[in-house]
Amino acid sequence: MEALFTNLGLGFSVALSFQNLFYCFMGVVLGTLIGVLPGIGPVATIAMLLPVTFTLNPTSALIMLAGIYYGAQYGGSTTAILVNLPGESSSVVTCLDGYQMARQGRAGAALGVAALGSFFAGCCATIIIALFAPPLAEVALKFGPAEYFSLMVLGLIAATVLAHGSLIKAIAMVILGLLLGLVGTDVNSGVARFAFGVSELSDGIGFVSVAMGVFGFAEIIGNLEQKGEREIFVKKVTGLLPTWQDIKDCTPSVLRGTALGSFLGILPGGGALLASFAAYTLEKKISKNSANFGKGAIQGVAAPESANNAGAQTSFIPLLTLGIPSNPVMALMIGAMMIQGIAPGPQVMTERPQLFWGMIASMWVGNLMLVVLNLPLIGMWIKLLQVPYRLLYPAILLFCCVGVYSLSNSPFDVMQTAVFGVVGYIWVKLECEPAPLILGFILGPLMEENLRRAMLLSRGDPLVFFQRPISLTMLLIAAFLLVIVLAPTVRKKRDEAFVEA
Amino acid sequence: MKVANGKDFWAGLMFIGFGLGFMGVANNYAMGTAVRMGPAYFPTVLGGMLAVLGVAIFLRAFVSKIPHPVGVFPFRLWFVVGGLALGVIAYYTQVPRDGGDVAKIAHELLAGVSIGLLFAAFGPRSLWVILFSVVAFGYLLKPLGLVLATGVLIFGSAWGGHEFKTREVTFLFVALAVFSVFAFVKGLGLPMNIWPAFLE
Repeated sequence: MEALFTNLGLGFSVALSFQNLFYCFMGVVLGTLIGVLPGIGPVATIAMLLPVTFTLNPTSALIMLAGIYYGAQYGGSTTAILVNLPGESSSVVTCLDGYQMARQGRAGAALGVAALGSFFAGCCATIIIALFAPPLAEVALKFGPAEYFSLMVLGLIAATVLAHGSLIKAIAMVILGLLLGLVGTDVNSGVARFAFGVSELSDGIGFVSVAMGVFGFAEIIGNLEQKGEREIFVKKVTGLLPTWQDIKDCTPSVLRGTALGSFLGILPGGGALLASFAAYTLEKKISKNSANFGKGAIQGVAAPESANNAGAQTSFIPLLTLGIPSNPVMALMIGAMMIQGIAPGPQVMTERPQLFWGMIASMWVGNLMLVVLNLPLIGMWIKLLQVPYRLLYPAILLFCCVGVYSLSNSPFDVMQTAVFGVVGYIWVKLECEPAPLILGFILGPLMEENLRRAMLLSRGDPLVFFQRPISLTMLLIAAFLLVIVLAPTVRKKRDEAFVEA
Repeated sequence: MKVANGKDFWAGLMFIGFGLGFMGVANNYAMGTAVRMGPAYFPTVLGGMLAVLGVAIFLRAFVSKIPHPVGVFPFRLWFVVGGLALGVIAYYTQVPRDGGDVAKIAHELLAGVSIGLLFAAFGPRSLWVILFSVVAFGYLLKPLGLVLATGVLIFGSAWGGHEFKTREVTFLFVALAVFSVFAFVKGLGLPMNIWPAFLE
């Protein structure tokens, strides 16, 4: 316990330095700004702003990126409530009751509850990370290559199981991602694989290009395909502070949402999206007047908003302790860490306590900033939402292009991103979820490396993965997950859960 | 046999193509053994798995209970054929380093048209118009400078949308050009020239 306070003390001393406060603030503001725009989710936002952070020191860079993440998360719910358009996928459920509340003239209460619920969830999640990350990292330090390989298999399988849509396509996308991740120079032999003599490709495909092409460009084009005007229901928001009755109504929902979200966020493949869907379904199940849901129930805003914020933060646990991303945003964070020269994994905590604890403390600071910032700034976000999309998307494209170009000052990256824009469009049309692909893409080289090492140590005996207990356990869980999902009853439930919400 | 689910049909073909493609290319590298894996080992295994999954998805397309038409999105085969043909020509006719400027520009135009055709083969008009303006921005940024390249991108991508109001887009262009010069070049200090290289 004492160690926890010293650690958090160290963290706050880092996070509260003037410089880091500034970057946290910038991240939160930029994240909210772009998150408010419909159709641009956290992945595209982070990919777009990633190049800006390259010049910073690693701690500030990660603090800023984390700020962008929960800022975007937050901005998404504002859009959901005011325009009935999810700013990003995890606020899809917030649309249901949030927009209805706005139509009843209670937009202020909805926004206020979303903000305060998220803040509460953020505080809890920060403490959970501080409590659970260190022991988990201790365990992870004992992992050998076989354990790591099995852990990655488990992570990828879990990500496909929890993704919605066809399971077999999701697995195929993971494998395609792994393969794309292998493009470039092989560390062991020095052979430039799948580069076709293109010198830029021998460094590998840039993960910013993949993420921005698939999640940014493809989404913009998808948005343009759906004609139709957005209707902004509310011109002016009043009554942001919820009444006592509201607080009484939604305190239990916030608590349940936070607990559920924190738990789901830790699971590989989990994170904000799953958390918000699950929390909404749970609230609807246990509520006494579930008929109100979908018609402006305040619990239907409070629970998923708390859950997605809690989930967004606890999904940092597998990243910080194991070096395994549980969702595409975390995959981008790993990419950013690697560019900063930090190998993600359990050793980050012991080797760079400033970075580790500074980032955790900054999460709390960032959440506080979000509440302080967003409640008064809501008028500005409404103005921004009134700008027609036909003026917004060229601007978004420009920022994306400048960001990608500045990665290595070469047009090749821009070209590459455009190619992934086309491919991403095709994937969306064919109902192949790109999220598992990004995870595979980041893990491809790591997985190959660990497989090679494990096989070298076992002298070519593939049974090593089943002989080591931790490795075996993880493979069994992965197999178990696959079996459950393939079982007909669960399969039906899984489809329903995603359709319903 | 009738294709029930067009999305599965094309997705299956795509995964088979990628799987076999990766396996085929990996064939050029050393396989190694299970103990000392060569660069071809992991990609070959993964490519094989991907192709098998692709076959499963492809076959599912015929028995699927979820109906989707075979035409999932606009697709123009002749554009692909033409684009690939020009691309192959461009790949094998690299202009030597000391080649003339005219030859170089001609070669780049050829490559550009080939890429444009490939983009234009898929999806709605907005897809290729927007992505082609993005690529044009990338390649014009150095020779034309930030302001003019921004113009190409903004006018191009706005033209790709549904409504194009010249006055509105011009205003947007001026605002964004001023913003990006101050934010990116002056503020963040990105190494980009503002005006065309021959003017500076």
